[in-house]
Amino acid sequence: MGSFTQSVGTAFSLIFSADREVYAAVWTSVSTAAWSTVIASLFGLPIGMAIGLSDFPLKRLAVILLNSLMAMPTVVLGLLIFGLLSRQGVLGGLGLLFTPKAIIVGQSLLAIPIIANYALSAVRAADARILPTALTLGASTVQSFNQLTNEIRFGIMAAVIAGFGRVISEVGVAMMLGGNIRWYTRTMTTAIALETSKGEFAFGLALGIVLMLISFSINVGLSSMQEEHQP
Amino acid sequence: MRVPFYQLAGIEAHYHDKIALMVDELALRGGQLNVVAGLNGSGKSTLLNVLAFLMQPTQGVVKFSGKRVRWDRAQLRELRQSVTLVHQDPFLFRGSVASNVSYGAKARGISGYALQERVRESLELVGLSGFEARNANGLSGGEARRVVLARALACDPEVILLDEPLAYVDELSTRIIESLLVALVHRGVLVVVSSHDPTLGLRLNARTIRLRQGRLIQDSEPQEMYAAKSPENSVYAIL
Repeated sequence: MGSFTQSVGTAFSLIFSADREVYAAVWTSVSTAAWSTVIASLFGLPIGMAIGLSDFPLKRLAVILLNSLMAMPTVVLGLLIFGLLSRQGVLGGLGLLFTPKAIIVGQSLLAIPIIANYALSAVRAADARILPTALTLGASTVQSFNQLTNEIRFGIMAAVIAGFGRVISEVGVAMMLGGNIRWYTRTMTTAIALETSKGEFAFGLALGIVLMLISFSINVGLSSMQEEHQP
Repeated sequence: MRVPFYQLAGIEAHYHDKIALMVDELALRGGQLNVVAGLNGSGKSTLLNVLAFLMQPTQGVVKFSGKRVRWDRAQLRELRQSVTLVHQDPFLFRGSVASNVSYGAKARGISGYALQERVRESLELVGLSGFEARNANGLSGGEARRVVLARALACDPEVILLDEPLAYVDELSTRIIESLLVALVHRGVLVVVSSHDPTLGLRLNARTIRLRQGRLIQDSEPQEMYAAKSPENSVYAIL
């Protein structure tokens, strides 16, 4: 217990003394997760909303596929992309492996089904009268769609935040595609795994605390925004 | 005589392979108040959806202002800007009363002072002056109905379609809505109101179009309705 308390103390001192290595891992994590979330949102939101709004013969299958992809193990996804990006792989010529860009590619693919599923749920939960009301008031298809998006904006934000939460806390993709290279591709999660295995528990704990603070702040921010806009 | 706004010929509309509407011929003109009467499932809402260009009939021809409706996206957008449908269970968007009332007018390219004036005038017409800043989701049922009506009026439509506008509405709102409908007709607007209330046509001195199981079974001018004095011809007997 004494050693745990001591580790917590050391962890906080690493955070407050702005330890360069801690903040390098934080920066890599946050920047790759932010880019991945943006890219995944650009694909995931339209996919989820399109599936939710349209009727097509294989819709049920598409929904099942999206749900299944949500449970994709990150290591397996990392392994598949590793195969594509490695020197012998189809995309090996791009030289992306073991760079932050490779992490972004992998994390984007990880987040797309999550964001699409949340967007699909938001569209399904939306009031069915939104689109017909906008159309009967003379709005164009685009304007009606914008109105729907505005009405379900908290569902959309939840989708984006769920995607961000997933990618910032994952280890498999960052480890497989980033290679955990110090000062370059080392993220909070890969650093926690490495430092703890080396016996540097305090360092791992410091990163764990930062990771939790980031996740909590985002969720608190979202919840307070939702409360403010409650009818 | 002016070309009717709507000319329907040989119309058939289906819901899940069941006939929801069958109208051989129907013409609706501007400055006319029409009550579409019938029981639940008689086809009233289907007829309004066809008139609002939200539902393409399976068969038949719809003409609007003498032009055949092609049901393509570009034409529909233009046609929908001439017509406003107020749904039976109206929906108010998130936000203020003003943002709701201005929605359709904004979609028609109106902005700035002209838009503000339209919002103010429309709210005044439905007896809700000063409600601009109120939260649309904090209104009573009757107020919400009147805001929805104000939103339709702010579009300045040539045709206004109302699906059961008087259902679950208090006495004050009923009086305001009924007198407003009559005033709109005097301004040359074509008003089509669906209702369960078999006496509404008489009360509003309106043409009554009666539907039963999707079929048009009666189309009477107000004076014809008054002439139906015997119990077997009464509006209740027809229903």
